[in-house]
Amino acid sequence: MKRVSLTINGRTVIARQGDSLLQAARACDIHIPNLCHLNGLTPLAGCRVCIVEVQGRPRPVPACSSKAEHGMVVITDSERVRSARRMIVELLFAERNHQCPVCVMNNNCELQSLAKQLGIDHVRYTFISPLAAVDISQERFGIDHNRCILCRRCVRVCDEIEGAHTWDVSGRGVASRVISDLAEPWGASSTCTGCGKCVQACPTGALFEKGITTTRKGLTCLERLLKWRRRRGP
Amino acid sequence: MNDKRCMPDVAHFFMRFCQDESCGKCVPCRTGTQQAACLLARITSGAAEPGDLDQLEELCHLMRDCSLCGLGMAAPNPVLSTLHWFRDEYEAHIRTGHCPSGVCSCDEDAA
Repeated sequence: MKRVSLTINGRTVIARQGDSLLQAARACDIHIPNLCHLNGLTPLAGCRVCIVEVQGRPRPVPACSSKAEHGMVVITDSERVRSARRMIVELLFAERNHQCPVCVMNNNCELQSLAKQLGIDHVRYTFISPLAAVDISQERFGIDHNRCILCRRCVRVCDEIEGAHTWDVSGRGVASRVISDLAEPWGASSTCTGCGKCVQACPTGALFEKGITTTRKGLTCLERLLKWRRRRGP
Repeated sequence: MNDKRCMPDVAHFFMRFCQDESCGKCVPCRTGTQQAACLLARITSGAAEPGDLDQLEELCHLMRDCSLCGLGMAAPNPVLSTLHWFRDEYEAHIRTGHCPSGVCSCDEDAA
């Protein structure tokens, strides 16, 4: 495997060619916050929380979808990207109803812990809080669109790992909603296998397990699952 | 476009357009255009506060720097250029709650 050498925060780092900046940083324990990326899934670069500055480029680039190149000089926590990350997370909090004290995933939520990590104690923007639907027609799980941040982890995990492609996104802009099949109730979906991977992949309390407040979020063995699936063929 | 148009109102029109056209994939464009349109609506209705202009400018820079595609990067341009050339019109809306061109609804509310 060919290797490339780059500088991240003043440290010289060796990465495999084809690795993303996020992978290269993780390999040497440099933390880059992110929301929409999950190891093993195709990078989406939608949340823009993992943006980093690369010398010679006018704008910050997302670390999850940018390839590590030889001789790159990367800064992951400049004042500019820190304030941008902060504003992005504040925008997410203002977009829909993210009231942590009454959420099933309180203290177990990636959005909440990211806000804590970035030191967000208030939101400067107008709370939009649209009244979005809650679908609890599925036997074991439920989806609360009020908590959804549209990271599309559920869409990707269902398509790429489970191979069911039950989830997709309807509408556009602020009217985007995650839908099952052709906007049918989740319980009526004929493609859903009920595996629960989407629930584990969801960073917030949008997808939850009924009657349980300690759903294990975050799939640790996603990459292994993907390798296993590829070995078996389509 | 002539001297009878209100620049914050023009910027509001373009921001509403970009909000409708945003695909919703990236956060700065999806929610940034929505919040910027909110702020511009407040300015044009005469309900804005002095800090709102700085917040609007900051939000526009975020959209320009961090959006995924050209729509989000170009969305703040009407606001940034009108802020650059016609800042006094924005300030008049905020300071006096009055539209110098007589276009915005803030004057109707007062009457």
